Amino acid sequence: MKKQKPLTLLIFLGPMLLIFLGLNVYPIVKTVAMSFFHIKGITDPVSKWKFTGLWNYNKLLHTSLFQRSLLNMGKIWLYGGLAIITLSLLFAVMLTRNIRFKRFFKTVIYLPYIVSAVALSAMWLQYVYNPQFGLLKKLFTALHLDGLASTPWTDADHKFMSMMVAYCFGMIGYFMLIWFSGITRISPELKEAARIDGASRLQADRYITLPLLKGIFKTILTMWTISVAGFFTWSQLFSTDGAELSTITPTVYMYSLIYGTGGTTDDRQAGMGAAVGIILSICTVIVFMLCNRLIKEEDLEM
Amino acid sequence: MKLSKNVMRWLCGAVAVPFLLAGCANGDDGSGSSSQNTGSAGGFGEAQAGSQSSESEKSENSESSTADSGEEEKGGEIVYWSMWESTEPQAIAIQQIADEYELETGIKVNIEWKGRSGITDGIIPALDSGIHIDMFDQSLWRVAAIFGDHCLDIEDLVEKSGYADTANEFLLQYSRETSEGVLKVIPYQINTYCFWYNEDIFGEAGVTEKPKTWEEFLDVCRKVKDAGYIPVTTDDAYALNMWNWHIGRLVGEEAEKKISDENLWDDPAVLKAATDFAEMASKGYFSPHIGSNVWPNGQNVEFGGGQAAMYLCASYLPNEVSAIVGDEFRWGAFAYPEVESVESNVEGAFANDLSYGNLSAQGIAISTNTEMAEETFAFIEKMTKGEGDLLIARNCNGIPADSTNKEWPDLLSSAREAVENIKVLVNYGATGTADMQPIVKENVIKLYAGTITPEDFVDTLMSAVD
Repeated sequence: MKKQKPLTLLIFLGPMLLIFLGLNVYPIVKTVAMSFFHIKGITDPVSKWKFTGLWNYNKLLHTSLFQRSLLNMGKIWLYGGLAIITLSLLFAVMLTRNIRFKRFFKTVIYLPYIVSAVALSAMWLQYVYNPQFGLLKKLFTALHLDGLASTPWTDADHKFMSMMVAYCFGMIGYFMLIWFSGITRISPELKEAARIDGASRLQADRYITLPLLKGIFKTILTMWTISVAGFFTWSQLFSTDGAELSTITPTVYMYSLIYGTGGTTDDRQAGMGAAVGIILSICTVIVFMLCNRLIKEEDLEM
Repeated sequence: MKLSKNVMRWLCGAVAVPFLLAGCANGDDGSGSSSQNTGSAGGFGEAQAGSQSSESEKSENSESSTADSGEEEKGGEIVYWSMWESTEPQAIAIQQIADEYELETGIKVNIEWKGRSGITDGIIPALDSGIHIDMFDQSLWRVAAIFGDHCLDIEDLVEKSGYADTANEFLLQYSRETSEGVLKVIPYQINTYCFWYNEDIFGEAGVTEKPKTWEEFLDVCRKVKDAGYIPVTTDDAYALNMWNWHIGRLVGEEAEKKISDENLWDDPAVLKAATDFAEMASKGYFSPHIGSNVWPNGQNVEFGGGQAAMYLCASYLPNEVSAIVGDEFRWGAFAYPEVESVESNVEGAFANDLSYGNLSAQGIAISTNTEMAEETFAFIEKMTKGEGDLLIARNCNGIPADSTNKEWPDLLSSAREAVENIKVLVNYGATGTADMQPIVKENVIKLYAGTITPEDFVDTLMSAVD
């Protein structure tokens, strides 16, 4: 390979490197540093920072609300992930078959993803789950399922589940498209060969399609993990005024630490908010490492 | 394919030029005109980005037109970051006042409609990064307590203009106390907390007197229930209002704050409040949907829809609901009733009467970065005194800030008696620290819904204390 001149390298790489250092590396380094200090406001000058070592982390790990937010995040990742990944795969497999109105179904399933989360949540909260005239209330009443018809879908005991249903409804189309693109990339000849060898459709899906989708699965898992780590909007939308125990996530908790809860005292703690961010990053990295260890694409032989 | 060296150089040059130009443009942002500065604030939040860019475009357009006509040099410009959205009635009134101010003085008021979260999240970073902002607003407490370091001391300006003579003395004092004894924030668009009720339901239920004590209040609830209506409802957003007021009435503001800040949830007053609400729940005085009411279902469907009789909220409730209920809805209001005293372990706790009441407001402040303090204060005076104050009060159904403005919006007239009875200003809040607030809120709603006993309520809160 021809060696590049330093000036050429500088001209081509310099601007991008500067942007990367300024927009990525600097915020990461500063956030890590902030997490070891007691800082009230996010823009407080360094002269106001008070070094507290690992106190922020220790306090967080012993705070029941933060523990609850981590638990909620874990439940979103696990239950939501299972629902979204399974259903989106199911839809994608169905839509790659020769069914009628394929394009229509694909559009309908994808449509909720492009609708604003604010509009979607309003629909679910104010209409679908409404305890007096909601869709579920009417549906279950018509079916004479009185127990379900009288279920308070948005009370403290059901709100998390209701939020997950609404969120999954909005996200399934997005992941379905990723699966869909992965499935359509698989050469039809492979499946045809399997069918000629006597495999049923299900067996062809099980032994040909699914193993070849390992890479896509890894991508989806990675993207899902990232979106769960940053789960904020839906939690906020399902808790009208301030965080709620049933729907709080670490990012919502971080937000209330950084900007305050709006009570009667100034309870901002930007340093602790930074520590929440670092803990979230560590959780995400752990999941990535596990994914890389457990899902190996090179196992496949064509 | 190999490119010649000259072609490579030209290409490199072509790539580098936009970066250099961008760098120059950024340099101008830091020291240039205010509209450029405000435009650069677009990065504070995704939700604001669109509106900010459109606003900055507007400001650039208007600035260029004023510059063409020579007004820029003559009058200058005040940059105002506002908590309102441009379509809200408050914003429409303020814009009208700003336009009039420009006509009178030649000073343009360039208003950036940031919305609540735009100010909450963005104002301090914006001021710290040197963006030109002369004034901003948010809730009085937030501006005074959280943004106080960035607000100009306006004691001299207030004294010079005699502003305090016709201002609400309670709120000016509260503003001072919240900003460590120095006046930095001017209150406007005043509101008060009351039980709002539907007079028609009260009439049908045979309620002729506003309840003043807890017993009278329970009696009203019984009559309303017997008449076939829901006595009290609320939404998740306002669920803590009754809780805050009840404990506040039982022990007073200072003791309540101590209970809340120090997590003294095993205080007898907490159990008493929980018991009172559990009793209401057991008698069916709360809405059967109170546990799952997501705002605005309670206020719009149950209260506005004529199913429920009472709703505790600040005086912006009639404004929020008026579009649904129309002009024929007969509004009534009464102060949170007095409660029987209860023993408390907190020193200084005392049950208080109806002379202890709440007023709150939006707060407007001049930034420490301003170079036009007097002109900005003059605009604030125009907003909060005389015709400007009346315009805001009428447009938004708020209580006037100017004490010489005796005219109140019709929707609020029933709350006037309660406000005029106030001798001591209180700000009740027993919502707990940031780590406790969601736990308190969830369990208070469970109390209203009757799904938790008072004893379990106290135990749950105590077990959540770290």
